[in-house]
Amino acid sequence: MKFWAVRFGSIGLAVLVSFGIGMIAQGSSGTVSRLLALAGLYVTLAVSLNLINGITGQFSIGHAAFYQVGSYTAAFLASILLSRGVISNLGTPIPWVLVAVATSLVTAGIAGLFIGLPSLRLRGDYLAIVTLGFGEILRIVIQNTPQLGGSYGINSPKAFVVPYVWMLTFLCVGVCRNLLQTAHGLSFLSVREDEVASSAMGVNVTRVKVAAFVIGSAFAGAAGALLTFNEGFINVNSFTMDVSFIILTMVVLGGTGSVTGSIVAALTLFILPEVLRDAPAMPLNAVLGTLAGIALLVGTIRLAMDHKGLGRSIWMPKTYIGIGIAVAGGIVVSVLANCLPALANRTIPSAELRMVIFSAVLVIMMLLRPQGIFGVRELGLKSFFRRANA
Amino acid sequence: MPDPILSLQNATIQFGGLVAVDNVTFDINPGELFGLIGPNGAGKTTCFNLVTGVYKPTSGNILFKGKVINGIPPHKVAKLGIARTFQNIRLFGALSVLDNVVIGGFLRNQTNIFASMAYLPGAIRETERLRDQAMALLEVMDLADEANGRASDLPYGKQRRLEIARAMATQPDLLLLDEPAAGMNPQESEDLMNTVRKLRDDFGKTVLLIEHDMKFVMNLCERIVVLDHGEEIARGVPVEIRSHPEVIKAYLGEAC
Ligand SMILES: Nc1ncnc2c1ncn2[C@@H]1O[C@H](COP(=O)(O)OP(=O)(O)OP(=O)(O)O)[C@@H](O)[C@H]1O
Ligand SMILES: [Mg+2]
Repeated sequence: MKFWAVRFGSIGLAVLVSFGIGMIAQGSSGTVSRLLALAGLYVTLAVSLNLINGITGQFSIGHAAFYQVGSYTAAFLASILLSRGVISNLGTPIPWVLVAVATSLVTAGIAGLFIGLPSLRLRGDYLAIVTLGFGEILRIVIQNTPQLGGSYGINSPKAFVVPYVWMLTFLCVGVCRNLLQTAHGLSFLSVREDEVASSAMGVNVTRVKVAAFVIGSAFAGAAGALLTFNEGFINVNSFTMDVSFIILTMVVLGGTGSVTGSIVAALTLFILPEVLRDAPAMPLNAVLGTLAGIALLVGTIRLAMDHKGLGRSIWMPKTYIGIGIAVAGGIVVSVLANCLPALANRTIPSAELRMVIFSAVLVIMMLLRPQGIFGVRELGLKSFFRRANA
Repeated sequence: MPDPILSLQNATIQFGGLVAVDNVTFDINPGELFGLIGPNGAGKTTCFNLVTGVYKPTSGNILFKGKVINGIPPHKVAKLGIARTFQNIRLFGALSVLDNVVIGGFLRNQTNIFASMAYLPGAIRETERLRDQAMALLEVMDLADEANGRASDLPYGKQRRLEIARAMATQPDLLLLDEPAAGMNPQESEDLMNTVRKLRDDFGKTVLLIEHDMKFVMNLCERIVVLDHGEEIARGVPVEIRSHPEVIKAYLGEAC
């Protein structure tokens, strides 16, 4: 049957690609291998949070908490297996890794159920506060539980999990895309669009919200388990609020609701700081000048968008005047900065520069494309074909 | 006399000091075109909210097909067979016109969420079935050409028709229309009148509608109840209502 051929074909392809990425990781340095694993984990986290925030419209901002639940579940399981002599310190065999992933999926899902059930019944942004609070409580509880390593952290025998990370990523993306192609997925979207109308149409709004929340949390938990075996050591600092906010930024930047957007934004936001890590130190006045120039340029584009729509006005003389003003403004700021004794002849080290660039990109995005890179659209084979046919 | 499909028995709801619906009692028979009218703030929409489970009556009862449905949550009321449209249009704006109607049909969906997550043949078939049903309803509501457009991009009149299509997709026995002709031009509301009549004649729906457009109500409805300040002030067939002194007073008192 064609249907099943396509289905198993695509599953096979996903597995193959995962092992391909695994082979690349194996052949490269430890750093690159670790980055390949983390990239997959971040895509999974962003796509699973997108199911909750973007598709179902529930504002959850503590996704790292469920990542943490999964990670610590796996670490705890590993410590039991270790003490029983089932696994050794040399490494965790893959079957046990998979058992841990499944267990973490369940525990994080259950945590999601317990957090979601009471807070999703309430209206407004209670969920945001509760998820954030849950993360903080979890951190403090773990810090005070010696069995979980307390504030030091917990060691687990490592395993080479890169292929499984990517399989999880493909699974998570696949599940979200599948859902969106069925009436079930539409009922999730309807809750985002209008809860009152959804329930009048017979959609059990609470159930949909809880389902989205549990599925999203479960995927984050599974990702956490893989993190444990990839790193070999975890502590509460791996799951701070910063991590939650990065994941949230990925979802917003990608375009709330767009699975493709979440993937692209997750990869970009993950890779960008890593690439910039090796950037050379820059003179302060040059950085300030560039920022000022960009700000002026963005302002001009924003004005053009508000008045005429970007497409039509981009080649008009006004555009060149705008660019000219931006360049001139940048140079002026740069020269002025060098005249001020407090700012002259300073440099910004690369570690801080990357944060400046990171923030600038976010601000520019929010000004020029507040709906995110992809808006609510998806990119896939179908949309390519549709365009080709049209 | 058949058993009424919907009965309000001394239905009352109070918001703080305000009695929005005060001791309202009426029966609607299966297949009727029933009008609920009254000046602004009379409590008409609140009656819809009571029937659909958005609010629970402070006292009194609401019966659907002989069963008390007070306090049953909206999604269950919809499943029992009552569907509504909204006075202040509440479409799923970012979704396509077709998807809006598909969601209306989702409550009779037969597959579970795991089948949808795995995109199993059963879930695909079910979605296809709902899509076909939705397309047929768009046909009836004269919206088939707009099926793939964004719901929020539709002109006002068509948005109102789409709300009806979406409500019809839940396969209701009783259809509640809250000011379906509001904002329509005379031609559009004429067309709508014929469509609503068709929903009753060809699809066997019972229709309860709120409308300020008197021509629309008087031409379409077979019986009418008039509310003012939450209380019933008149009831009867259109000719009786048109000349009813209380009704004239209520509407004149509103100076419109
Ligand atoms: N949730 C609520 N809380 C407080 N007061 C409410 C609530 N809902 C409705 N009311 C009040 O109840 C009264 C009746 O409102 P309702 O919306 O039912 O009027 P209506 O007959 O539909 O009027 P219109 O023709 O303007 O739509 C109004 O005074 C309104 O302010
Ligand atoms: Mg009203």
